[in-house]
Amino acid sequence: MRKIRLLILLFVGAALMWGPVSLQAMDKEANTIDELVSMFDESSCIDCHEEIHNQWSDSWHAQSVVSSLGSITSFIENGLKKEWETEVTKGQMLKCLDCHAPVINYASEKLAVEIAEMIVTAAKEKGKPAGDAAKKELAKLRVGCLSCHNLKALAVAPHWNGPREEGMIYGPHGEDAGDAHETLESIDMTRSAFCMQCHGIYTAADGETIQCNTLSGSYQNAYVAKGGSNTCQDCHMDGGHIFHGGRDLDMVKKGIGFNVQINPYKHLPGQIKDVKEPGKWVPSAVVTIFIENKAGHRIPDG
Amino acid sequence: MFSDQKKYFEIGRDMEGRMRYGAWQIKEIVDLTLQPMEIKKEQFMMNFDTDVENVEIEAVLTYFVSGKKKDVVYSIKENIAFDID
Repeated sequence: MRKIRLLILLFVGAALMWGPVSLQAMDKEANTIDELVSMFDESSCIDCHEEIHNQWSDSWHAQSVVSSLGSITSFIENGLKKEWETEVTKGQMLKCLDCHAPVINYASEKLAVEIAEMIVTAAKEKGKPAGDAAKKELAKLRVGCLSCHNLKALAVAPHWNGPREEGMIYGPHGEDAGDAHETLESIDMTRSAFCMQCHGIYTAADGETIQCNTLSGSYQNAYVAKGGSNTCQDCHMDGGHIFHGGRDLDMVKKGIGFNVQINPYKHLPGQIKDVKEPGKWVPSAVVTIFIENKAGHRIPDG
Repeated sequence: MFSDQKKYFEIGRDMEGRMRYGAWQIKEIVDLTLQPMEIKKEQFMMNFDTDVENVEIEAVLTYFVSGKKKDVVYSIKENIAFDID
């Protein structure tokens, strides 16, 4: 805590001078997706972090909006409009997009509503020019570098950590990046609580809970409660920033043990109905299967 | 000849106890999943006809990552022979 605050004081001047131009102006609100994306320009990250960038490019974080068009559209069309009979607003859209595209926090009210309309168009007009155009625009919104390494970096314990610095790159080790950018250590990023900001029950500003998945509840209440101490990162960052999960068969295999024992026997005559010869011993078997959940949370989930 | 299955999943419920899929609707769950740090034992007893001499038994573990996509995680086959009297 003290270390972070001290470093912030020391580096804030440098950050304003050398930090990405985009991060120097986060007080303003974007009115277009391009403007929003440019405010959080991550295009230079690849210059030094190509391997990590390539891993992330193959991750679901890299398509966190376009891979969830159906679900978010259902929230808008069925949840907001039909069930809640309420307007589509930025505040409502944050219930999905604060996690699926954290930069949305810096979108204007008008842009947030336009993004909602684009999501619906992309889902409903899939394969048609309007839908494809909307999807192409929405693909610019995702869980990018700055989503974790700045926007969400300190959000687990905002008061304990102090304010997030605009222009700062937070990392688990706070390694010196030279002139490229200022860096601060965020120990939070090594902890499960960091991932649990989104991979669990999300509580919106108005108190509504959104239960996309319950991994964090299971992690805390079943895994940790039984003595488990591995973090989300221990398993899901084994392959780096691709964040292997339930869509990766090897990852699923790592998480589940499967032991099958087959025991043939002959059942007592006269006890099994509908066999050809009731007086004979009946060929039978008992199959015993042991399924071990080796993951840090319930399976399936997410 | 014989088929049986066991499903593990969670049931999302709204505030009126109705099964739901929408993330905004689910407020509670019924947990029928595999719990972490536990080994679940399942047993299946199967009886064949009196003239069956050979059977192939296959145990398959399938993971449904969504309603549209499934993967066979494990598949174990074993042939057993019966000495018919």
